[in-house]
Amino acid sequence: MKKQLIILLMFPLLLVLSTDVHGDDQERARNSMVRQQIQGRGIRHQATLDAMRNIPRHLYVPFPQRRNAYEDRPLPIGYGQTISQPYIVAYMTEIVDPNPGDKMLEIGTGSGYQAAVLAEIIEEVYTIEIVRPLGEQAKRMLDAQYDNVFVKIADGYHGWSEHAPFDAIVVTAAAEYIPPPLVEQLKEGGRMIIPVGSPFQIQQLMLVEKGKDGEISTRSLMPVRFVPFEREK
Amino acid sequence: MEVISGHKGNTRQILSLGLHSAAIIAYQLALMQLISIVQWHHFAYMIISVAMLGFGASGTLLALAREKLIRSSSWLVPMLMTISGFFMIISFEITRLEFFRFDVYLLFVDRSQFLVLAANYLIYFMPFFSGALAIGILFIKHTRQIGTYYFSNLLGSGVGGLFFLLLFGNIMPQHVPAVIGLLSVSAGLISLVRRKAPLHMAIVLLAIISSVLLMRTQEQISVSQYKSLARSMNLPDAEIIYRQPSIHGLIEVVSSPALRFAPALSLNFTGDVPVKKNVFVNADYFGVIPKFDAKTDAHILDHTTQATPWVMQDRKRVLMLNAREGAPLAHAFVYNPERVDAVISNSGFVEMMQQEFAKESGNLFLQKELEIYHIEARNFLASKPPQGYDIIVLPQQGTFGGTAGINALQESYDMTLESFELMWDHLDQDGVITVTTWIDYPSRVSLKLLATLVQTAQKKGVADPGEHIAALRSWGNVTFVLKKTPISREEIKNIRSFATSKFFDPLLLPDLQQEERQRFNMVGDQSFFEYVDQIMAGDEEMIRDYGFVIRPATDDKPYFSQFLRLSQLRHLNEIFGGDQLPFLELGYLIVVITLVQSTALALLFIMLPLLRLRKSQKGKAGTLLYFGALGIGYMFVEIILIQRFVLYFGHPVFSIAAVISTMLIASGLGSLTSGKLPATAKTPAIFGLIVTLFLIGYMLLLTPVIQGTIASPTALKILISLLMIGIPSFFKGMMFPLGIRYLSDYDVSQVPWAWGINGSVSVISTSLAMLIAVEAGFMVVMGVAVVCYAIAFLTFSFHKLLFQKTLNNKP
Repeated sequence: MKKQLIILLMFPLLLVLSTDVHGDDQERARNSMVRQQIQGRGIRHQATLDAMRNIPRHLYVPFPQRRNAYEDRPLPIGYGQTISQPYIVAYMTEIVDPNPGDKMLEIGTGSGYQAAVLAEIIEEVYTIEIVRPLGEQAKRMLDAQYDNVFVKIADGYHGWSEHAPFDAIVVTAAAEYIPPPLVEQLKEGGRMIIPVGSPFQIQQLMLVEKGKDGEISTRSLMPVRFVPFEREK
Repeated sequence: MEVISGHKGNTRQILSLGLHSAAIIAYQLALMQLISIVQWHHFAYMIISVAMLGFGASGTLLALAREKLIRSSSWLVPMLMTISGFFMIISFEITRLEFFRFDVYLLFVDRSQFLVLAANYLIYFMPFFSGALAIGILFIKHTRQIGTYYFSNLLGSGVGGLFFLLLFGNIMPQHVPAVIGLLSVSAGLISLVRRKAPLHMAIVLLAIISSVLLMRTQEQISVSQYKSLARSMNLPDAEIIYRQPSIHGLIEVVSSPALRFAPALSLNFTGDVPVKKNVFVNADYFGVIPKFDAKTDAHILDHTTQATPWVMQDRKRVLMLNAREGAPLAHAFVYNPERVDAVISNSGFVEMMQQEFAKESGNLFLQKELEIYHIEARNFLASKPPQGYDIIVLPQQGTFGGTAGINALQESYDMTLESFELMWDHLDQDGVITVTTWIDYPSRVSLKLLATLVQTAQKKGVADPGEHIAALRSWGNVTFVLKKTPISREEIKNIRSFATSKFFDPLLLPDLQQEERQRFNMVGDQSFFEYVDQIMAGDEEMIRDYGFVIRPATDDKPYFSQFLRLSQLRHLNEIFGGDQLPFLELGYLIVVITLVQSTALALLFIMLPLLRLRKSQKGKAGTLLYFGALGIGYMFVEIILIQRFVLYFGHPVFSIAAVISTMLIASGLGSLTSGKLPATAKTPAIFGLIVTLFLIGYMLLLTPVIQGTIASPTALKILISLLMIGIPSFFKGMMFPLGIRYLSDYDVSQVPWAWGINGSVSVISTSLAMLIAVEAGFMVVMGVAVVCYAIAFLTFSFHKLLFQKTLNNKP
């Protein structure tokens, strides 16, 4: 009777622990993530797909979250921040249309995963993180893997004027306003992508485009994961 | 000395019971407030259910081990009070340890958080369980003098509520449990006996040391990493430069060079976005420290859609409702107003702005044209004769990214249809009401706002609301303007010109062309525009069938920020996926989860003694019906009265204090009086009928009386509220002890069972009442309370049938 009780009490713990991902499973999980969550939802940008197959996403999340690294959702990385859902990373990357010779700026390094995806495709990635511990951790990780990623721990508001203009700017942490210096540091004809929404919420992405004449326009993009929201007839 | 007996002994026990009861209620309120700080206020419903669960579980234990507990009561009761006090001191601090730190947001992404939540439940359960057990033992031991003991319990609880207000207004929230815990420890010491005294004194010592340590070491509360305060503190050089407890919550000001204010700023703004210190109340973003500069005629809000009503024409008489954001106030002063009335209920914030931050804000809150009112917006509107304002500015609605769900169950009487009608009455002939909202997806806040404005205009006799409403949309905001008279050509021209210069798009204008809507800011989902047009056309069917609640809030259902339809959960699940659902409206779902969970626990704690006692007792149906109905009825009436009197007193804190304290004290007096009445079946039946009739009267008269006397002098309002809350509470207070005495005369073993039922149903009552209020309105909640007291009346009217097997010799 006592044994049964112990097993019963241990059950929730076993349930939590049993879902961990180990060894070769990670590669399988990564391929499955790309196939089902990303290609399955219509992402066709080959370089993005290749990058996400190559990068060990589980190394970019805190240890307790590694078992969830390839799940179809954002994950907490501490300091109130998250690593975006894989599909959102892919979608944002596809939207800015990265090409091998490009130079891009990322605001909000977070775990470093988005910067890693870009680094696999383009020439130079400049990334800024405002939360020091996160920035330091991401810098260690990215420095070990890439020589074309430059991490700065600073307020992203000011952008990185020394290396401007940028072909595209990826803002991974949404702000209530778009800093004017960022708009200024965007090339004419350049694109800036920004998620609008709280960390765990349904995120609507916004594309800011700078026309040849300097006119700025925005476009709210509905992630294809979501069908249009329609009322029930 | 071994057993406290006789009059003197009882006096000590009664005194310690009162003190301990005061500590328990104060602790419950303190815990709710502390949880609001470290998490969010909707989690408070779980605290209420944990507290009630403590009471229910104590009833179970009493039912199972009644004789043993009574035999040890002389030393056990004071010991339990002390243990309860000790747990009050340490429980909250234990849950803040890294290992036990629970985060409501992580609950949906990290399964191990369920274990942490369960541990938190257990930790918070302990002070309530031990405390309630002490009270329960006294009740079952002194069933003959239950009136006196119940009086002490209720009086103490009433005073405890007021004591909490006093504490929270004056000392740091993290220190409050230590003070309250010591109150309970003192209660234990008052009735201390020699037996087990060394052990008792050791716990007392431990409690004192813990409280001293806590007061000396805990300088601030560590809040959830997802709260806006915690996120701001991650910024470079962030520091808290001001901290002050108040009855409105803990006010903190954070300074960092990375904190800037420019909500949904125009994309052609090329200047520098101003750095602002941020104000937080209970660790939630409240606003910024604004800056008024008489020498400049520019403000950052001129580069947002919020400037729309100001570019239409000159506005000289201004009303700012719930002007907690100082920035719109500073913005208004840029336009040289002749008079600005600002309604800000948080007096602590205003005091801070007029003193510590007066210089930094350019003496904004001390301007001679400014009059500040420390009441709720709705109370201001209802209590003043029409003022002829040129503009009424409402605070920005929704939150960035659309997390309005966090406030889903926060009643906002300022955002109901009735409130907008009052605003309309306060406008001058060319006056406007303006309100800005963050754009959310799926669209909810903007559509509900528009529906409210359209229906307000229609109710005020406007045939074509399209001639009176303008709206501008930026990449992140929509600003609506409702004008009393039709919008003129000149005003339309000004709006268009402003929109083009700032890269904004008109959403609504009297002569709007479709192609104008997406010149600068295009949207992927075009249905938003269709819904806007349907609402403008008065399409009731669309409002009814939309996947979220976008019907305007009313005084009967004043939940402007509540959008989730339970009936649409499956449909939403198909669209967004189950993992996203909680974030559509976390507040409401937490209440639903609490209800389900607490119902299961309550059933467990009712069923458990039932199964155990099924052979020894019969005729429990009467006990179940009577004490169950009293538990639900009492809580439902309390919740309704709190909601209604918010309107009356103009402040939720005063309303809660007035209602809870008056109800408990009046019920306590009723309980005391009940001791002089015979404990026959007739007496509870009579009082059940009286209360039922009273509540039926309230269903008809409560709202008209409140609305009719809202502008009366304070003294008269206090008198009216004392009578309206006090009289039925007096009778309600009689019913529990009369029922207990009736039971104890014939089957005393059912008394703990009754105590357990009463506590257990109270577990579910708060969340159930909220759910009914949201889905069906306050009138229905009151209707359920009427039914409950009618059941109590009928139970004793048919006592022979319901109690016959056990109580066959009862007259």
